[in-house]
Amino acid sequence: MALTPVITAHWDEPDCFTVDGYKKVGGYRAIKKALKMDPDDVINIIKDSGLRGRGGAGFPTGMKWSFVPQNDGHPHYLTVNGDESEPGACKDIPIMMANPQALIEGIIITCWAIRAEHAFVYIRGEVPEPIRRMHAAVADAEAHGFLGENILGSGMNLKLTVTSGAGAYICGEETALLDSLEGRRGQPRLKPPFPAVAGLYSAPTVINNVETITSVPYIIENGVSWYRSMGTDKSPGFKVWAVSGHVNRPGIYEAPLGITMGELLDYAGGIRDGHELKFWLPGGSSVPLLLQDHLDTPMTYEDIAAAGSMLGTGTPMLFDDTTSVVKAITRWLEFYKHESCGKCTPCREGTAWITGSLERFQEGVGRSEDIEGLVELSNHILGRSFCALGDAAATPYEPALKAFRSEFEAARHQPVDEAFPPAATMIIPPETANLAGAAT
Amino acid sequence: MTAQAEGEAADTDLVHAFIDGQPVSVPKGTLIIRAAEQVGVEIPRFCDHPLLDPVAACRQCLVEVEGMPKPQPACALYVSEDMKVKTQDTSTEAEVAQKGVMEFLLANHPLDCPVCDKGGECPLQNQAMTAGRTTSRYTLPKRTFPKPINVSAQVLLDRERCVNCQRCTRFADEIAGDPLIDLMERGAEQQIGIGEEPFDSYFSGNTIQICPVGALTSADYRFKARPFDLVSVPTTCEHCASGCATRTDWRHESVERRYAWEDPAVNEDWNCDKGRFAFKYLSENRLTTPLVREDGQLRKASWPEALRIVAARLAQAGSRSAVVTGGRLSLEDAYAYGRFARTDLGTDNIDFRTRPTSQEEQDFLASRVAGTAGPTYADLEAAPTVLLVGFEPEEESPIVYLRLRKAVRKHGMRVFSIAPFASEGLEKLSGELLATVPGSEAATLRSLPDDVAKELRADGAMILVGERLAQSQGGLSAAVALSEQTGASLAWIPRRAGERGSLDAGAISGLLPGGRPITDAAARQEVAKVWGIEALPETPGLNLAGIIAAIAADEAGAAAAEDSEEEYERSIEALILAGVDVSDVAEPAALQRAIDDAPFVVALDIRPTEVTAAADVVFPVATVAEKSGTFVDWEGRRRPFAITFPETQMFSDATVLSLIADNLDHDPAPRNVPALRAEIEALGAWAGERPDVPQVPAPPASPAGDNQTAVLATWRLLLDLGVTQEGAPYLAATRRPSVARISAATAAGLGIGEGDPVRVGSQTGSITLPVAVTEMPDGIVWVPTNSPDSRVTESLGVGAGATVSLSRPTDLTEGA
Amino acid sequence: MADLPPALSGFWVTFRTMFQKVVTEQYPEQAAKYPPKPRFHGRHQLNRHPDGLEKCVGCELCAWACPADAIYVQGAANVEGDRHSPGERYGRVYQINYLRCIFCAMCIEACPTRALTMTHEFDLADHSREVLIYEKDQLLAPLTENMVAPPHAMVAGTTEKDYYEGKVTGATTEQREEVAHREEAEEADEVVDAEASS
Repeated sequence: MALTPVITAHWDEPDCFTVDGYKKVGGYRAIKKALKMDPDDVINIIKDSGLRGRGGAGFPTGMKWSFVPQNDGHPHYLTVNGDESEPGACKDIPIMMANPQALIEGIIITCWAIRAEHAFVYIRGEVPEPIRRMHAAVADAEAHGFLGENILGSGMNLKLTVTSGAGAYICGEETALLDSLEGRRGQPRLKPPFPAVAGLYSAPTVINNVETITSVPYIIENGVSWYRSMGTDKSPGFKVWAVSGHVNRPGIYEAPLGITMGELLDYAGGIRDGHELKFWLPGGSSVPLLLQDHLDTPMTYEDIAAAGSMLGTGTPMLFDDTTSVVKAITRWLEFYKHESCGKCTPCREGTAWITGSLERFQEGVGRSEDIEGLVELSNHILGRSFCALGDAAATPYEPALKAFRSEFEAARHQPVDEAFPPAATMIIPPETANLAGAAT
Repeated sequence: MTAQAEGEAADTDLVHAFIDGQPVSVPKGTLIIRAAEQVGVEIPRFCDHPLLDPVAACRQCLVEVEGMPKPQPACALYVSEDMKVKTQDTSTEAEVAQKGVMEFLLANHPLDCPVCDKGGECPLQNQAMTAGRTTSRYTLPKRTFPKPINVSAQVLLDRERCVNCQRCTRFADEIAGDPLIDLMERGAEQQIGIGEEPFDSYFSGNTIQICPVGALTSADYRFKARPFDLVSVPTTCEHCASGCATRTDWRHESVERRYAWEDPAVNEDWNCDKGRFAFKYLSENRLTTPLVREDGQLRKASWPEALRIVAARLAQAGSRSAVVTGGRLSLEDAYAYGRFARTDLGTDNIDFRTRPTSQEEQDFLASRVAGTAGPTYADLEAAPTVLLVGFEPEEESPIVYLRLRKAVRKHGMRVFSIAPFASEGLEKLSGELLATVPGSEAATLRSLPDDVAKELRADGAMILVGERLAQSQGGLSAAVALSEQTGASLAWIPRRAGERGSLDAGAISGLLPGGRPITDAAARQEVAKVWGIEALPETPGLNLAGIIAAIAADEAGAAAAEDSEEEYERSIEALILAGVDVSDVAEPAALQRAIDDAPFVVALDIRPTEVTAAADVVFPVATVAEKSGTFVDWEGRRRPFAITFPETQMFSDATVLSLIADNLDHDPAPRNVPALRAEIEALGAWAGERPDVPQVPAPPASPAGDNQTAVLATWRLLLDLGVTQEGAPYLAATRRPSVARISAATAAGLGIGEGDPVRVGSQTGSITLPVAVTEMPDGIVWVPTNSPDSRVTESLGVGAGATVSLSRPTDLTEGA
Repeated sequence: MADLPPALSGFWVTFRTMFQKVVTEQYPEQAAKYPPKPRFHGRHQLNRHPDGLEKCVGCELCAWACPADAIYVQGAANVEGDRHSPGERYGRVYQINYLRCIFCAMCIEACPTRALTMTHEFDLADHSREVLIYEKDQLLAPLTENMVAPPHAMVAGTTEKDYYEGKVTGATTEQREEVAHREEAEEADEVVDAEASS
């Protein structure tokens, strides 16, 4: 399947991130079209296009917008989730860096559709570059009259606020993001009420991922049938694939949904020379791992689910035979333990417990009862935690055990760094001399 | 499920569902966990609390709901039509989920039950037995914290035991409005903590009670006892007129702790820290035997001797006697005093109001309050608008404050307050201030802004007046007029627990039990019949001010008579004082002089006071722990309490009075609570005509102060130097600091700033406190009435509305 | 014997017995001849950790377990300078009423710290009720050579857990010095008090 650069089409232009640069390549045309339409028609176009949320859950975007009660006398808000913190995910930050004006255009169209006059972009706190870039982009758009009062004479007012968190993975969860945005402790809220009814400041709120919103102007501009000409019936359109790991050319490849991992891997130059693919994850660390057999599975929400994993953020990570699955799983669990917000018991206690036990395997002193025990512990978290963070933490272990049980058995006696020397798995191995020097 | 929710059931559509196969019908908006309770299924839980918003944090209550892919928290999911719920009793999925959560909760728990104050009454301990494993599979090092740490002087936090259910933080935020404790850190390191301020909330003790583990414990009760060795008695809090149901836990003739007892109609599940921690006065510094004065000295005496002396002198004095009771008596004891005065002494000289009062107040109480059933807590909660006059709910009736806050939070009740400044309590009620100079309350009431008057016309609106309004001339008259004008109901909220009962019992001149006017022949007849006597005094006797004046007149008359060597007949020969603190009245010196001057003084009290020191005979009486009885809360609701120490040696006031009557050879008076209650019931409330409401006009606008003078504003703080708070050091440490509040302009006029000392002076003395610059009208100074370094009646000898001097303490030293 | 009158034959029995071996024990003038069996339930004892700190944490579980309601305990908090046991809590009041105790040893089973055990002492008889209510000082195990009398600090650098894991084996020099200083100070106070009162 061929690549279809849309969002990423002009990233190599030196001024792609400015209003002028964006206009040069056809930007800010969709909003002229959209602002002449009835807001409900905009919602219907997005509904018809079948655009699904790119934040991981794949919820139909148009449907989300239509949940917002209209003409209720309350202010409405749009919140764009740019808190990209998933291990392995690197697509929203590049989009904000290279194509911020498309995002802003998408925001304007979305706010028109949901009748919001104030939108927020919430960016992860540890990444100053896109925060700076977005601030500059908003100022640029304001200067060109795309934001502010009476945009393009449509009567629409829109204020766009760029804000950042303090670096908490949980704030990527939409309700925790709202709490954080309101200045509270970032912990997920009880649903219902759903944000579409009572979100930011208890007002109806739409929360969408950066990539989702950035796709909107292109759909408005080129139409539903153009969009649906890509991808599958249930997973239409294009997607920004951020391929990472032990591949020769890691990077961002934009292609329709339905492309296979094998094809993406070809674009990415294949697995490192001299090595073989061991396992891969279709979308961030929160999804079950897949093996060589699944390279031909079309990358769609439904097909990947049928294969026993999830498309997630659509940012595949590939690992070759130098990787210790025990160490990889441990690293992810350490992440979830560190990022667990603490609100609910299963996630707070479970992530710490599983991580502690996995660290024993990593050190070669794993307990045999833990091999099956951790499956049970994971199941005590899965589906029982307050939000999806717990589910994400409960996901990796079982598929890893199923595929690589012998590695866990071996790690009862042998530290994984002995079986899988860390230097071998590094993309750019450090000089042996340096390592020795560091050790002394 | 609260009574209120049940009441609403009739109006709301019911939804029908099945819990473990049992059909259940509940009002829409009922949580699964509540519905399950109705059919006798108890789902384990930690974070859930019926009066707190659902949070679904602990996940202990997971149940299987048909049609839902994963187990659902029963504490956060509302029952819907045809919902089929399977709890741990019928569903393996629910049981496994609950066991899993319990295992997680116990993984890092220190399991130090033997040294934990919650041991024996711990929901975690109990639920670990039903949903826990017998051994732990957790072999990693446990999480440890230094233990315990103080989140306030009286609340200790052990973070190792904490299950992060957030009941305490939600209580502090939602119910009390004092979000001074919150979650800190995240993940496995998440813990409860405080910021720079300690958790000095008036309601902090409730967090100890609702903590489902031993994480929050009380400094006061630390390691004192075990629940299985405590005897629990249902009691009523004696500290204010809120009428909280409490539970007193005691062992070995010593009260070990008090808890709030659930009463949905009154205090829901809560009480204030004074009600919870102030009980040491019950056992410390007590009078134990009667005392009689011999050669100018009080000595111990036997009961028969003391009773003989008193009977002989009272027989002589007869109707030339007077009775003053403090505001802390139970309904039955107050009734006994009223009955004793009228039948055994034949006088109507009686008053229970040992505080700043007025004739206007007496008329108001007789016409609108005594023996009536007023608005209730439920009415208060439902009110769309409430106007507070001379009343600070958080300081003077904390449960009223909690109910107001609930209404503000749940349905946006609007609160207006006529006061000199917006207090912390008013701010937590999102209240609006109608800034008023003390003394001008009547004027403000008579010229309310249109929007406030309009709000008060709404159905269910209420006006709450405090006992302090008596100090402002025309205030109560104006409040009655406003109530009649707008249709808003009017409630009088006194401070002390015994005030309303004493009023209903007729322990006030001019009023017989049940609000009967003594001037009404039919009323007198009804009472005389029950009391088995021929006749009652027909004209109102003296109130406290009258008694003090009469004794002063007697003294002058006697002195004059002595000079002219004539016989002088005093109008007051004997004075009986029950539980009176001299410093409670507006002018303590005058009362003290009257006590010193009265020819014969009998004091009944639980502990030595200035009054007992000046008395001729002293009888020790029972505390609330040593008797049963009834308090009447501000609603007029009877709040009975049981005796805590059944083997006590102490007599109640009523029993002592009946013994005196016996020694007077009078007909036996009822001496125990059942007999007294029977008489009170037999009398009931007065159905006849009531006296007219007072119509005292508003005084001319009082001039606000200038640079040297100011109008005094003052009220008591909840935690202050009150005698019933003695012996509770941890409670005392959470008092609000004593400050003098003045406006920025007044402070600037004096050349002082925030925190600088200011001297408030009168003819009798002065108070010096640090300044808190407050948004308030100029020329007013507020100081607490009875707090450390600020005892207004004793130091200044004047009350609210008086003009006092303001100065910089340094000016004084220079002047001196 | 048949010739003797019946009255005298009775005396004969008495006379004959006078020469048999006496079985009466002269208890309590002489010590008990037969010591109790190893598992005999005698008077209780409150044990100490090897450095002299008390094992009792004042948890009252013995009082709860007691079917005769013979035990009264009240806990208190260990504070800086007044430590009686490792950890947060110690038994400030400990009373066993031997007029009620039935020596069933349920209390021993209930004790979570092995603080309460039973000795072989069985001669618990006296002339008044009060003296048969044993106080904590009567129940505490005597100090052995390695112990010093509380209150004193825990062995430096140890935790409560170390005490239960047997890592503390006796009083350290620091602890001995602390107790010696305290006792000296107390004696000095007594002298001052005595002088003041005389």
